[in-house]
Amino acid sequence: MSDANTPNLSHPSRRQFLAAGLAAAGSALLAGCAGSGPAAPAGSDAGSDAGIKVIASFYVMGDFAKKVGGDLVSVTDLVPAGTEPHDWEPSPRDIEDLQAADLFVYNGAGMEHWVEDVVSDLDTVKVVEASKGIELLDGEHGHDHDHDGHDPHVWLAPANAKMELAAIRDGLVAVDPEHTEQFDAAYEEHARAFDELDQEFRTALESLPNKTIVVSHAAYGYLCDAYGLTQRAITGIDAEGEPDARTMAEIIDFVKESGIKTIFTEELVSPKVAQAIADATGASCQVLNPIEGLTQEQERAGEDYLSLMRQNLKALVAALG
Amino acid sequence: MPEMLQYAFMQRALAAGLVIGIAVPLVGVTVVLKRLSMIGDALGHASLAGVAAGLIAGLNPVAGAVAACVTSAFCIEGIRRALPARADLAVAVIMAAGIGLAGVLSGFVPNSATFSSFLFGSIVTVGDAELAVVVGVGAAVILFCALFSRELFWVALDERAARLAGVRTGLVNAAFVLVCALTISIASRTVGSLIVSSMMTVPVAAALAVARSWRQSVVVACAVGAVSSLAGLTLSFYAGLRPGGAIVLVEVGILLLLLLVRGIMRRLAHPAREDATAR
Repeated sequence: MSDANTPNLSHPSRRQFLAAGLAAAGSALLAGCAGSGPAAPAGSDAGSDAGIKVIASFYVMGDFAKKVGGDLVSVTDLVPAGTEPHDWEPSPRDIEDLQAADLFVYNGAGMEHWVEDVVSDLDTVKVVEASKGIELLDGEHGHDHDHDGHDPHVWLAPANAKMELAAIRDGLVAVDPEHTEQFDAAYEEHARAFDELDQEFRTALESLPNKTIVVSHAAYGYLCDAYGLTQRAITGIDAEGEPDARTMAEIIDFVKESGIKTIFTEELVSPKVAQAIADATGASCQVLNPIEGLTQEQERAGEDYLSLMRQNLKALVAALG
Repeated sequence: MPEMLQYAFMQRALAAGLVIGIAVPLVGVTVVLKRLSMIGDALGHASLAGVAAGLIAGLNPVAGAVAACVTSAFCIEGIRRALPARADLAVAVIMAAGIGLAGVLSGFVPNSATFSSFLFGSIVTVGDAELAVVVGVGAAVILFCALFSRELFWVALDERAARLAGVRTGLVNAAFVLVCALTISIASRTVGSLIVSSMMTVPVAAALAVARSWRQSVVVACAVGAVSSLAGLTLSFYAGLRPGGAIVLVEVGILLLLLLVRGIMRRLAHPAREDATAR
């Protein structure tokens, strides 16, 4: 958001907003206690003393917000674990939670198709569109989400992820300027980690002989761009999800001719088509995670953006080596 | 060998298409004459609810789908008996219940990937095991319809007359509902519900347009079904069309063509007798 980039102006009004937000949260809490029903506030664990209440649209946004906010924030993801965010829509209760939150972080670039309706009711100061300012790629052909023609998966390149981290820091500073130093320090620390990750990808992928990956869902445009890879997506695997016979045949031929050993699928999308192609070509199906959400097992295992990206790197190296 | 047949997935798709194209219209003839044309859609949605329930309960989702399908089919049969003149209403009620239940339950499914893999079957991704299931179910359906051809004819035409003719209508109806539910729940998961629900009605409509007897309509329906499966898949391969949609459009095309031919024949010859369903 433009306000997020100019965090030093007009503190008092921001403080007022914060106070208003807290008051709203408080009244929501009271309403909940009174047993009248409809709303426990965002993430029932968020309760009383947990500082700034941040709501993130889906997993990776929440993870970034946690990284910058540390103990000062309590973060809730709107899209629950194990759900594909492209197909998700907010419930009335989610909207209510959003009204009560201090900060709402979303990716933008068309990832959250429902966001415009929701954001129009919120104060601009408590909204962060993390992808703002990042140069967007055009959506890949065969990528049939309603993405305004852009590929929204910016966070899959660590350099972009760092920019999103910065946008989230600006947003946090805007709603809680007293803790600017802590947010800055946390940002610096994680920005370094993201730089390291970027370097690991660069060195590991540079030397590999093959440069083309076959994926179920064209989510890896930014990743491929950053490291000189090309993605070839199996058409229409999500939602309506039926490839036509000619496309199937073309991809099978392509995989055979270029000696591709691995078809990449995702955990949150049906692997049926990818599996059929793998069976037909003798390739294997592996997971390349677009980090749109965690499965419940991953959540329990404490995975985060960095660990999942390293798993992706390992899978890419194995496939392209 | 034509290019199309060099791909194993196309061989499987054509085999599955042929079996579905014969078996489903066979059931469809009775379904349509009993005014249950939309039963394919209704049971398709019910089986979705069953898949979701199965996943939530940690059971086998296919078993959940079959159970939900069979239950809903018997509910349709129950409502149909309670309101004999409103069989279409029974289907609509169960369809609505199925959509509602599937929508609500899908919110509780722990991993949406497994759910969507049961939602979106596609004829070009049919595997060896799935093909075996389709062939098995198809063979069972064809056998059933052949053995009980006379009984199904009477039940479809007029239940009161059927009882007078000595048909145990309750038993035949129950067996038919079971066969119908099994076909829909298993076939729509493998080849996609669009193909199954259209196969149940469109070839039958084409057959009713031209056939002059029960036996003729059965034969024409199966022929139209088989031809449109194969033609639709061929189109999908050479023209790059989605297979489910291509098959349905070929079916509709054949229906229109037959209607046109019938119109012309009628105009040329003396008016035909109106006994399309006489045996």
